[in-house]
Amino acid sequence: MRWSPVSALAILIAVPSLAAGQVSVQGGVLVGRAEHRVVDADTLVALSGTLFGGTLGVTIGERFQIHGEALGGPLTSAAAPSLEDHDVAEAQILGGMKVRPWLTLESGLSFRSFSNSLARQHWTTWRIGAETRVPLGFESVTAVLRGFWMPLVAVSGLSKPDVALALGVGLDWRGRRMGISAQYTFERYDFEPRNGAQRLEELSTIRVRVGMWWPRSSRAKRSA
Amino acid sequence: MRHAVVAGLLLVAPGAAVAQGNTADQLEQAARYHAALDVERELVLLRRVISPNSPFVVTHEQRVLAYKYLGAALVVLGQRDSGLVYFRAALERDPFVDLEPQKFTPAELAAFSEARQLTFGLGIQAIAFDTIDPRTERLGLTVLATHVADLRVELRSAGAPSGLVLYQGVTDGPRELQWDGLLADGRLAASGRYEIILAGVSQLLHRGDSVRLYFSIQQDHPPLEDTVAALGPQDLLPEQHAAAMARGELFKSLGIAAAAFLIPRTVANGELHGGGRAFANGIAGAAAVVGIGSFIFHQRHREIPANIAANAERRAQRATANAVIHDRNQARLAQTRLIVAPAAGIGP
Repeated sequence: MRWSPVSALAILIAVPSLAAGQVSVQGGVLVGRAEHRVVDADTLVALSGTLFGGTLGVTIGERFQIHGEALGGPLTSAAAPSLEDHDVAEAQILGGMKVRPWLTLESGLSFRSFSNSLARQHWTTWRIGAETRVPLGFESVTAVLRGFWMPLVAVSGLSKPDVALALGVGLDWRGRRMGISAQYTFERYDFEPRNGAQRLEELSTIRVRVGMWWPRSSRAKRSA
Repeated sequence: MRHAVVAGLLLVAPGAAVAQGNTADQLEQAARYHAALDVERELVLLRRVISPNSPFVVTHEQRVLAYKYLGAALVVLGQRDSGLVYFRAALERDPFVDLEPQKFTPAELAAFSEARQLTFGLGIQAIAFDTIDPRTERLGLTVLATHVADLRVELRSAGAPSGLVLYQGVTDGPRELQWDGLLADGRLAASGRYEIILAGVSQLLHRGDSVRLYFSIQQDHPPLEDTVAALGPQDLLPEQHAAAMARGELFKSLGIAAAAFLIPRTVANGELHGGGRAFANGIAGAAAVVGIGSFIFHQRHREIPANIAANAERRAQRATANAVIHDRNQARLAQTRLIVAPAAGIGP
């Protein structure tokens, strides 16, 4: 019942666009490398690993888009296996509205889980931000710059962080049917100091995505 | 006595009135006298007409008519040689002059025929105002030689060195010619001034003569459509990138690379000593490579294929539209009619 207005809005937007044949669907696979660094009680834990996932996006008309992404994988320390090693799984859904040909306002929810055999930590964030795309000379290559502020972050076992932001830079090549993108993402979380110690956390990734579009477009799509 | 004077004036008045009638009246009266074989009175009237002292204006046609009747009257009076002189005078002024068999006696006709043999003249009948459809109609022309002669009739644009030969051959008397409106090159005669030149050599007298007649032609057809104007710079897309564009793309790419490079170094928390610098460096490097590649590519290939194709399509559309207009105009030109009118010379 809580999602009824959103669903209604989505239907209101989607139905006319569907009728007009202005809906396109994008799907793809993700492979990436992640680096998770945490400082807590003056102890630095640095973990990294390879992630795999997939994406699914729907572009409605020329202005609206919904983009979902899921990925996961193990994060381990560079040295010998430790108790800090864990798996990460993340799902994200973002809605966007193009306000300029080069600028899209975005907002959405992320659900992330860090887990190992000992514990599981859930993250839920609501982020708002923007994405800008800059053509790089070649007709189908664009640079992507993304920035998000996360006003709501809920972490199990932790208080809300004072600083929560995410940035991203990437390159995107889009052909008529498929595209490849590479993106560097960086997330920073600074938690409130407690008992003289402050928890700092960063998650940075580089992701390579190979995607396809349906229906096939006669021109490179820039919206998703 | 006073009444006798008035009666005398009344008797004399009709004669005086005849004597004082204009040239046309005098010629009509002379023709009536000739029909009544009253040649003495006819001669008086005709000599009055051709006299330099005639008080009335005598047109060229009236003078020719007077000579014709004078010649006939003199033949009737037995003065055949004098009659021939007047007949020749009439023929020299108007080769088309002729004696109507129903009005003149065989002796007069024979004398006139002899006069024609002795006089060589060529004539073209004046062209009247007319409109012809060259697809179905012809412009009629009549040329004439007073006796047997080699003739050449040529139609040409006024002042042109050569033209279309309408007739070449032997002719005795009048000859009807027809012109279909086409010139020697097979094209319809354009609007302008034209001339018909009739030249001939008498086979009897071995003397040459020529005459020319000017006329004008105006083409009349439904109004033609203008073709689509040539595409100007404002109608076409630029087909080459500006030289500064390659540099701009390079700077943009380097900016992106700089952003990727700086994020882990400025936004990341220093205590974590991380931020995925290697990842960011990879993206920065890739952006720099793309930028440099784009710069080199656009320096060497400044053309914009999409715009070139779009411009080619616009040019093709224009050519197609003009071809259609051309076809429609050709169909309208095919309906061209020629308005023919007499003219005074090469130009107005």
